[in-house]
Formats: sequence, C-alpha cells, structure tokens
Amino acid sequence: MSSTTKKPKALARRPDLETLYCINEDGSHNTIHPADVKGRFQRIKKITWTLLIAAYMILPWVKVGGNPAILVDLPNRHFFLFGKIFNAADFWLFFFILSGVGLFLFFLSATFGRVWCGYGCPQTVFLEGVYRRVERLIEGGASARDRLAKMPWNGEKIRKRFSKLGIYLVISLILSHTFLSYFIPVDVLQKAVTSSPAAHPAAFTFILLFTAIIFGNFTWFREQLCLIVCPYGRLQSALYDPDTIVVGYDRKRGEPRGRYNQSGEHGDCIDCYRCVAVCPTGIDIRNGTQMECVGCANCIDACDVVMDKVKKPHGLIRYDSENGFEGKKTRILRPRTILYMAIMALWLGAFMYAVFGHSPFDAELVRLRTDSVFTIDNGRIRNQFRLQLTNKLGNATQFEIKALEPETAQFVLSAKSVLLKSLESRNIPIFVFLPEKEYKPGTDVRLLVQSKAGKKMVQGRFLGPRK
Amino acid sequence: MTEKNIDRPNQLVDHGEEAHSFDGIQEYDNKLPNWWLWTFYLACLFSVGYWIHYHVLQTGLSSMEAYQLEMKEAKKAAEKREAKNPLTDALLLKLSKDPKIVAEGKTLFLKNGCVGCHKADAGGMIGPNLTDEYWLHGGKPTQIYHTIFNGVPLKGMPAQGKLLGRSRIQKLVAYLESIRNTHVKGGKAPQGKKEEG
Repeated sequence: MSSTTKKPKALARRPDLETLYCINEDGSHNTIHPADVKGRFQRIKKITWTLLIAAYMILPWVKVGGNPAILVDLPNRHFFLFGKIFNAADFWLFFFILSGVGLFLFFLSATFGRVWCGYGCPQTVFLEGVYRRVERLIEGGASARDRLAKMPWNGEKIRKRFSKLGIYLVISLILSHTFLSYFIPVDVLQKAVTSSPAAHPAAFTFILLFTAIIFGNFTWFREQLCLIVCPYGRLQSALYDPDTIVVGYDRKRGEPRGRYNQSGEHGDCIDCYRCVAVCPTGIDIRNGTQMECVGCANCIDACDVVMDKVKKPHGLIRYDSENGFEGKKTRILRPRTILYMAIMALWLGAFMYAVFGHSPFDAELVRLRTDSVFTIDNGRIRNQFRLQLTNKLGNATQFEIKALEPETAQFVLSAKSVLLKSLESRNIPIFVFLPEKEYKPGTDVRLLVQSKAGKKMVQGRFLGPRK
Repeated sequence: MTEKNIDRPNQLVDHGEEAHSFDGIQEYDNKLPNWWLWTFYLACLFSVGYWIHYHVLQTGLSSMEAYQLEMKEAKKAAEKREAKNPLTDALLLKLSKDPKIVAEGKTLFLKNGCVGCHKADAGGMIGPNLTDEYWLHGGKPTQIYHTIFNGVPLKGMPAQGKLLGRSRIQKLVAYLESIRNTHVKGGKAPQGKKEEG
C-alpha cells in the first residue's frame, strides 16, 4: 500500500519504531538538527535551567561557617555540607543519599514520566540550555544548520564552525573547572590555575581529560548519551503503568490524519510534521510512547503553535496518561504510587534519625598494641588503651575526660582536658592499674568524654589473668 | 516486507529484512553505531596484546615482581642516603646543635603522642624521665634512636620507625639531646643506668 503523504523536504528519512534515528544503515552517525520551537513548556524549561545553572556555578563560591557549602575533600576524606562536616567514618550515611535518590526517581518516573530528563538532567540543561543556543546564534535555524552541514568547507563554513567550536571550548573549560571546584576549594583552584601545570599534575590532567569529554559530549555525542548510554531511559518501561503521565499524541482526536482543507471526515492532525522536526532524539511521537522520548515537550509546544494556526484547541500532543488518552480517568494515587510514598516515608524517618544522631565528635577506646594484652606489676594488673578523639565541629573545642569504671582502679591519663582544632584528631594514651584481688573476668573500663557539644561514653574490656 | 498496522495508519515499515517475531514481540538486527564497534574491536585487540604480554610470553612484570623491584630500588636509595650521612653519635649530636631541627623535633614530640607517657616537659609519667642521666636502654644518641625506632613492646613503648621514618626520628633525638640532663621539676624518679653524656 503506498503512502499518500508527501515526504517533507527537511527530512529525507522518517523516524520509525524499528531503528534509532541517530544511527544510519551503515552505522555512521545521523546528525539531528531539531527545528526551533517556542511555547509554554520552553519557557518553563528556560526558567528551570537558568536556576539550575546559576546554582551550579555559584555554589562553589558560597561559604558556610568558614568552609565551602559543598565540598568533597578526597585526599583528607572530609565532606562539607552547608556547615556540617562528615569524615570517613560517616561514609555509611552516603547509603541514604544513593537509596533516596533512587527511590525518588522511581516514584517520579512512575507518576510523571521522564520529567527529570527534560527539565533537570545536566545533559539536557547544558545541551539545550547553553550549547544549542550558541549553535543557533552562530549557525542559524534548523534549515540553515542543515544547509551548512551539507556545504563544502568554504569560507562561511570555516568561519561559523570555528567560532562555534571556540566558544564551545571556552564553555567546556568553565564547566570542567566548576566541576573540579566541588572537590578543590575555589581559592586553592584559583592559585592552581594561575600557576604552572607542573605544580598540580593530577588536577591539570583531570581538567584536560574532563574538558575533552565535556566538549566531545556536547558537540557531537549529544543525544546518543540519552539513547545508547543512559540506563535511566531504559528503566522507564519497567516503571510505567497506564496511569503514568507521559508526553503523548491523542490518537482518538488526531486520526485519521488529513491535510488542512481535505474534504471528508478526518482528525485534527494535519500531518504537518512539526512534531517530528523539533524532536531532538529524532522520533515521531505519534507512533506512541517510545524509549527515545526524553519528555522535552518540544512536540507539545510545536503542535500547539500549529493548532492555533488552524484554529483548533491545544493539546493534540500533551502531557497525559495512557488511560487519559483513551478517555478514562488518570489515577495519581494508586497502589504503586502509595507504596513508593510509604517506602520513602520510612526512608525519611531512618535518614532523619541517622543525621540527628550524627555526633559532633568521635571518641573511641582502643587497646594499645603491645606484646601482651596485660602486664602484672607489683600486684597490679595494667591494661593499656588509647582514646581516639576527633573534633568534627567547625571550630576548636575543649574536651574533658573523666574515668568512671572500674572504681577501684587507678587511671593514668596524660591529659584530662584536651583542646582540639576543627577536624583535628588525637590519640591519648590511658593506662589502667587494677589491684589483682579486685579483678574479675568481665570487668569493663568506662570513661566519659564531655564537651560543649555533648558527651559520649566510651568503654573497653579490662583483661587479666585466668582465675 | 511492508506491514500495514491499524495502530499506525500512515506508517510504512520497509527494511527489506525480516523482523524476528516472538509472540508479537519483534526483534530487529540493526547496525550498531560505528564508534561502538570500533572501540569494541580496539578493546579486543588490546586484551589479546595484554594477555600475550603478561600471561603468554611473560614479558611484563607481575604485580609481585613489580613490588619486589620497587622495594629493591627503595632499599638501594635508602642505603645510598645512609652512606652519604651515616647514622652516628657525631651526626646526631651535630643535629642537636641546629635550633631549627631541635624546634622541629620538639613539635614532633608534642604532636606525636610522646607526651602521653613522657609528659610535655619530658619529665616522665608512665615512661621514664628523659631529662635525667639515667637511661634504661642506653643513653648514646644512636641507642636513643633505636629505642624510638623499634620501641620497647614489652614495656608499652610503641615502635615509631615505620610511622615516622628516619629523618623525623633523627629530629626527635636532636630535641632529646638538647633537653638532656636539664632535670625538669617534678620529673619521675631515676630508672636504669647512669650515663653521663
């Protein structure tokens, strides 16, 4: 059966459900030049992206309590988060971050589809919000870009491409340095940037590689990351159900397609192909929900513009669920979403408990490693311990050590009061002498460490000869 | 093969190839992206070369061999350093006359936890008094060096050698030589043999 529709000039090849549009039949890359689109969701996206990019660029410069707001200090194994300091012993809390992000993304996907992809994902934010806008500025609209790509390397092409790539390089350098400033404080990074690469070989190599990756990704790799590499997109089929809100085409309203002034009964879709022309991943949303659709809502805005022109209502392509497109009601609250919310409530409770239980200082009693676990000295049993004290507060703090048990023992502490700087750690040797006749198996050594920020009890087993 | 599908009225499917269909679930055999294929081929080539180099011809160093080689070279470098500056009483005494080295040694003494047993003024509490003329394990500078390096495990003095290294222990000894025989007030009673020095 032959097709009655004319092939649009800009698209020599049409999207289908059997291939990825970005890969040609010979395996080479098919560059997609999405058309420009204006509309409600483009405006919402631009505002969101501006806020996200501003936060990303400004946060490294913000200090809370004298320390950077967000910093992962890998060599010293410290994590600074808005005034709170975590050290390596707190790393188990990271489990909550990973599981929380995972749970939340699952809930968000099951309920609202791929809103993360279209509005929050750095790939979209930087590609559509920064790099493609520069491209549009220099190379023009979709048909101009397509024409430039097919041109031989004449003066115009060399000029446009090189100026675009030059700006891309500068942007990529800014992005990679900003990324690094979440691991190296900005003032240290500033000094590193203004000094010789030989003084900071690791950071310099990282910047070289990372800038190259960012540059290559946003210049050429682009949608292939979403379509071929990212696992999140491929999870969607496991997370959706007929009540999940997705970007979709109202088949009931649009079919059968017909030209604008075609006689006879036909649907609202006039087969203008705008929805396909604006798609950055190269699909036809009228074929249904697909893995490639990143929920950017370009097709929604494009179709609404056309619907205005043919004086039909908006929403031929819109956010709705599969049930909604069939005319049934969408249930936001359903067993799946309720279960997700219940699990997230549990997670929140456990996380709050863990975070509020986070102590501002670490105190551990550890046995000193010598040849014997106890020695007998003039009728007294001696045990040697070490109190490991770490100050995790942002300022210097005084710690008082008090011996509690055994009460009949003599404690020899090198210092009963210790002043520790922020993040300073010290080992304080503690010797406990217990008269032999007072000793019985199961005796514990207990000490109390007190400070302005709270107190902690430490304990260890006192060991002696078999009786 | 072209298919007409009621759900996709204007959609033509024509690839000239059969789709494998399993109960309606279709699987196609499209080309992988060229960059994917080529990185895969290169990885295969690399792995063959790696296998031949390390496991077949064994022209490469195994992890154990690489480690042993590095340890040998480190030992040679240490011996060269030792030969240039042999550890003698004279050297340690010379270091103790250098105020910068003595200051660094004092910082090490205070920060390293020596004060836990020997007190901040080195008068001794659990550990012996370091400011008198009585020495339990030898009072010559090289003997003091070895006491710090190897520790006295039976008595509870930890071995600092692996922790601090050669140059830091030399600085400590320099500091101790500078406070030797200063008899701080409230120091522990004498232990060991008397040695003038």
